[in-house]
Amino acid sequence: MFDIEKRNRRMMGMGGRGGGMGGRGGGMGGGCYIYDENQRANDTLVTPDVTFRRGIYMNGSMTMDDGNTVTIWGFTDGGGGMSMGGPFPSPAMRVTQGQIVHTQLTVPMCCAHTIHHHGIEPGWESDGVGHISWDVSGTTYTYQWRPMHPGTYFYHCHTNTVLHAEMGMYGALIVDPPEGPGTLYSGGPTYDMEAFWVVDEIDSFWHTLNWTAGTCGSDVGLNDLNPDYFIITGVDGAQSAMNAPGIATTMQVGQKLLARYICAGYHPQRIHFGGLTGTIHISDGRVLPRPVQVTELRAHSGERYDVIFEPDTPGEYIITCEIRHWVSGEVLGTARTRITVT
Amino acid sequence: MKRRDFLRIGSAGLAGSLLGATGLLSWTPRANAATLERTFHVTEGFITQIDGTDVYFRGYSASPTGLDVPGEALIVQAGDTLRLTIVNTLNVATSFVIDGVVDSGPIGPGETRTVTFTVDQPGSYLYHDNLNAPHNRLLGLHGGLAVMPAGSSNELYPGSPTFVQQYFWLFHDIDPAWHDRLRRGLAPNTAYTPRYFTLNGLSGRPPGAPGSGDPSIDSMHDPRSALHGSIGDRALIRIMNAGLAAQSVHCHGNHMEWLTENGVIRPDVWEKDCLYLDGDKGALDVIYPFEVPPDSWPPARTGEYPMHLHSEMSQTAAGGYYMFGAITDIFFE
Ligand SMILES: [Cu+2]
Ligand SMILES: [Cu+2]
Repeated sequence: MFDIEKRNRRMMGMGGRGGGMGGRGGGMGGGCYIYDENQRANDTLVTPDVTFRRGIYMNGSMTMDDGNTVTIWGFTDGGGGMSMGGPFPSPAMRVTQGQIVHTQLTVPMCCAHTIHHHGIEPGWESDGVGHISWDVSGTTYTYQWRPMHPGTYFYHCHTNTVLHAEMGMYGALIVDPPEGPGTLYSGGPTYDMEAFWVVDEIDSFWHTLNWTAGTCGSDVGLNDLNPDYFIITGVDGAQSAMNAPGIATTMQVGQKLLARYICAGYHPQRIHFGGLTGTIHISDGRVLPRPVQVTELRAHSGERYDVIFEPDTPGEYIITCEIRHWVSGEVLGTARTRITVT
Repeated sequence: MKRRDFLRIGSAGLAGSLLGATGLLSWTPRANAATLERTFHVTEGFITQIDGTDVYFRGYSASPTGLDVPGEALIVQAGDTLRLTIVNTLNVATSFVIDGVVDSGPIGPGETRTVTFTVDQPGSYLYHDNLNAPHNRLLGLHGGLAVMPAGSSNELYPGSPTFVQQYFWLFHDIDPAWHDRLRRGLAPNTAYTPRYFTLNGLSGRPPGAPGSGDPSIDSMHDPRSALHGSIGDRALIRIMNAGLAAQSVHCHGNHMEWLTENGVIRPDVWEKDCLYLDGDKGALDVIYPFEVPPDSWPPARTGEYPMHLHSEMSQTAAGGYYMFGAITDIFFE
């Protein structure tokens, strides 16, 4: 499975390219501090209740409201290895609390990736962190986990993470209680509809880099994220997200909307609910001791908030996500969607 | 001026900083308040980064020949009096400040000043030089102070959730262009763009990198930073941000119990896997519970996990070098 020739290539990559060509425009070079040579099979596997198969794509694209396109990488549904383009965000995983879950990740020889189920806390060999276990390349690796806390999570690549997660290698991960969708957690509130607000920023320059960029020490600017697009769940937040299904919502007075908010960017965010008050019941997959009512919230990278809206007044409410520079606090851009209450 | 190669960081930086080390400032509950003494030499020098860049720093150092960034982590108990002697070896002024507690005022070049103050409120504090704020602090003049509740060895504040071990995570971000201007007495003239990111003064050295596994070089193995515990070894972590960038502190393996934010006790303890750490002196206190990772199957009692900042720019150095930023490892033993 792990042939010696590839191992040598990778090791030569480390030796020969150190401090060198990690960066712009090159081909699929070897990279440094990529740990696919450590790969071995997961020896903790048991029979799963549910299995997700994920391949990867690195030639996807997203068209912005201004007509420009940027390169997107992500995961595909199915084990086909590399495919031509794919969905963005990557296909969601939805499981029930207590199920034993397998995630089978297939990565071709081209490159290395992992899946880290963010907020899920499995054994170390199923955590998808390259430097602690291994990066996946030229094989299929199976992660095993048993989610015990309902709520909103996401999964993302954890290889050269700074770049790969920015490139779009993430998807939603929802853990339902045994009651299934419609109930937030056992004994907790119910909801009638869901919206996914996965708020992210895109730096178009970063999206021209190759998968090993910077790993051998060249300065490719990964310390400095200068986003020019601001998106919600894979849709441009300039205009398109205002009407995109699953993001924008139309509901009636008396209905309950669950917004699953994920801060998928790297700069801090502030999200205003446009005059609505929401109730946070869960954050980061943990039920709050007491729910909290808010008209806005701030969040930073990787945080999730599960917020229920029960509007009592018809109207159009604009949800505004400000992405703020991590040093200056300056608003770099906004992404917007809406809740229409009839 | 001293030049501190990163290969030699540890001997100076580590020895004086181990929590609970012998000495007057130790984490052993006492029935009575005490007067505790320390001397800090304010020193300057260069620290070589992973890409070979020498960056100018200043530190509250244990010796006149050292360069400790951050300064020694101090642990006292409420009611204690601290008598700190600050020896300024620089040719510019310095100061020693704990916001709301003590302010030495400017200490001139070559001057030695003794600062005496009593700490009443249990909690976590950043000590720093607030002259030309934030410049002197950014140059490295900062450190952490823990004030334990009087007579208590296992609480952050009286009645808090309890712990059996404690750590400081002092984060910092570094823009070498600013450090160079400040060394030359000039105001920075570029937007602050950090290029290096540290945890307790060190950054990651992933497996295969020079210095990987060396606790004096590699933040992943620095005993001040890396969490070690068996199931139940609940660890209090006093998190502070000496830098300017807002960070997201992310732990794998367990969620963190979130006790305080910027010195204020949270109304409820939330369990979080990511926490928003404000830039410019933001602070959090959390407990990492060392529970069996809840979603592991079969249940995992041992293993290794990372703590990294999820504001991922902080995981780089010099514009690349993923994993050479502010990161450490968590060892379930
Ligand atoms: Cu990847
Ligand atoms: Cu993550």
